[in-house]
Amino acid sequence: MIRGYAGRVLDVDLAARTFTFGPLDEETARLYLGGKGYGARLLYDLTPAGIDPLGPANPLIFATGPLNGSVAPQSNRFAVVCKSPLTGAIGNAACGGSFAYGLKRAGVDVLVVRHQSASPVRLEIDGDRSHVAFIDASDLWGKGTGETQAILGRKKHHAVIGPAGEHQVLFAGIVSDERIAARTGVGAVMGSKRLKAVTAGGSRRLEMDDERAFKEYTKWLGAMFRRHPVLGDRLKRVGTSGIVSTTNPRNILPTRNFKYGHHPDALNVSGEFMADHALTGVKSSCIHCPVTCGRDVEIEGVGRVKGPEYETVALLGTNLDVPDLTRVAEWNHLADELGMDTISLGAVLGFAMELRERGLLDAGVRFGDPAGVSDLIRDIARRNGLGNDLADGVRRMSEKYGGRPYAMHVKGLELSAYDPRGSYAQGVEYATTNRGGCHVQGASMYMESTGPLTINPHSLHLKADLPVVMQNLACAINSMVLCIFTTYGMLPGFIHRLSPSSRTHRALTAVFEHSGPLLRLALGAKVAPVLWFEKWLTYITGERFTAGHLQEIGERIFTLERMYNLREGLTAADDTLPDRMLFEPTFPGTTSGHPLHLLLPRYYALRGWDRQGVPTARTLKRLHVSV
Amino acid sequence: MSVTVELTYELGKALGTSRFEVAGAATVADAVRLARERFGEQALEFDRLTRLAAVSVNGVLVTHGRGLRTRLSDGDRVSFVRASAGG
Repeated sequence: MIRGYAGRVLDVDLAARTFTFGPLDEETARLYLGGKGYGARLLYDLTPAGIDPLGPANPLIFATGPLNGSVAPQSNRFAVVCKSPLTGAIGNAACGGSFAYGLKRAGVDVLVVRHQSASPVRLEIDGDRSHVAFIDASDLWGKGTGETQAILGRKKHHAVIGPAGEHQVLFAGIVSDERIAARTGVGAVMGSKRLKAVTAGGSRRLEMDDERAFKEYTKWLGAMFRRHPVLGDRLKRVGTSGIVSTTNPRNILPTRNFKYGHHPDALNVSGEFMADHALTGVKSSCIHCPVTCGRDVEIEGVGRVKGPEYETVALLGTNLDVPDLTRVAEWNHLADELGMDTISLGAVLGFAMELRERGLLDAGVRFGDPAGVSDLIRDIARRNGLGNDLADGVRRMSEKYGGRPYAMHVKGLELSAYDPRGSYAQGVEYATTNRGGCHVQGASMYMESTGPLTINPHSLHLKADLPVVMQNLACAINSMVLCIFTTYGMLPGFIHRLSPSSRTHRALTAVFEHSGPLLRLALGAKVAPVLWFEKWLTYITGERFTAGHLQEIGERIFTLERMYNLREGLTAADDTLPDRMLFEPTFPGTTSGHPLHLLLPRYYALRGWDRQGVPTARTLKRLHVSV
Repeated sequence: MSVTVELTYELGKALGTSRFEVAGAATVADAVRLARERFGEQALEFDRLTRLAAVSVNGVLVTHGRGLRTRLSDGDRVSFVRASAGG
């Protein structure tokens, strides 16, 4: 077995209450690494087209990668893969916390959960005894994610659902510690199986090919990260919600259901405001992570709770026209306990508010008014009353009540908090990403409109090229499995210390903006491991990795996911953005809609797809994607 | 003619307000100068806090156009922008 892997796939049948420990397929691991890549391959091979995502035929796959179980910074994440009940396309979500560590210590690379239990159940995986206990979970059913983990024991490593997952809310997530595999409704699939929790542990140690080199390099890199302006400073000081200070003045902060990209009082939910007014502590929230982007805040009437992330302060704050940190933190805590994705939740609440404004539906909530929101969140989680409709997400809401032009989703997945009208590359990414409107399957916005380089987000330069290389890299990162935040280290510290009006900065920006072919060439080169992604993989597995290898693996994963979606009936027509993003300006006279139609043809060509967005036979052969 | 100047959190904290109107700013350079004047004796603090800040007009960075020479219209919003990261 390749080093870095435990070498085992655990296959659990909830209906039969049986389990088997089988071997990890080495060839698949070489081609797809692990995490969401290995999971996508399994899902494609295990299921036919057209299965009911909430039926017994949809497997729920928990997958780790070769970096999990090491002490590499930001490396303890797992992926969850299944067919998404929210989108009908491939579903996946990544999560920090500690479950990845527990699974790897149990000697399990991949856990496949099949079929459905007749009654609430939880699993305890004892890796050392190669045993799985099926334990009645009736006493836990209905309990929140924090309470459930507290009952199961804080020193163990769990993945659990809350009431939202139990009620199959289509944007329910799976929680580990305080982190959540939030997107695409993986928690609803877990709920459909009546699986409340999985606990994993053991004493297996990760075997590395060159542990000494790994440790020396990681020690050096850790010191470099600690000096880095983003990883070692800004994220520690203001967390992810510090990004409000960038997105708001650049008109890409969702406001009133994405109608606008700017809110005059947005700084009241910024990370800086949080640090000054409510912060009681910073923490990593993910085992072995030195970045400490997590926050603890003290909220009157609620107590000490997890501070909201950027996506949450945007979607539940400015997007609802309630830039009030107290309310957002309260709703964030509620959503976490109930086990829901705050991005989709904020989008569906914003959509309901706009429907009310237009006289199409009165769900009891309105823009700018926090009244009724907490109750509606509880109703969504338990599918009470109108909450039952909102629990199905924005796309289904628009099919029932109207409002399709301002239903803010792509492929059924609600958009995250970067308005593509002010971030063209991010718009291409939203339109083409296989799981739908998501920002962490590439994160082009960092290189385009939030990071220090500030290329022109309204030109067409690099706007098709950047998403391709970033999506490929993110696919590889999400398969190792690492945190996408490690990519922030790719821009060295000196760039952050340049004045944006300096000649050096402007020259670097101009070069980057026109670097399309060069960028692809540089990242495609298979010369030597340079960045930490390649070095860690090389030291751990003993196989040689370079930037080119990662681009190739990432492209393979992305293409397989595309083939899955095409098999499910999706077409190029699904590679689009909401009408509001395509045709409405964010600010009269300045920003028009997103020019997607000008960028998609080049994007398809770069990917080796035909004009209908179908990967050609030559592309599939080049990438060794068997379908 | 009047434009709105929007400050970063740190600038707003130093001045005690997050935004204000300025009259008579024909270009971004004028707006930045008038904003600096607002800081009075704290002008050096203004310089320190804006050294790494870009400037946008209605959400668009001026570095992609005519820079500080960018002309302003009545009702424009001139914002100081700090790079950041998150997700």
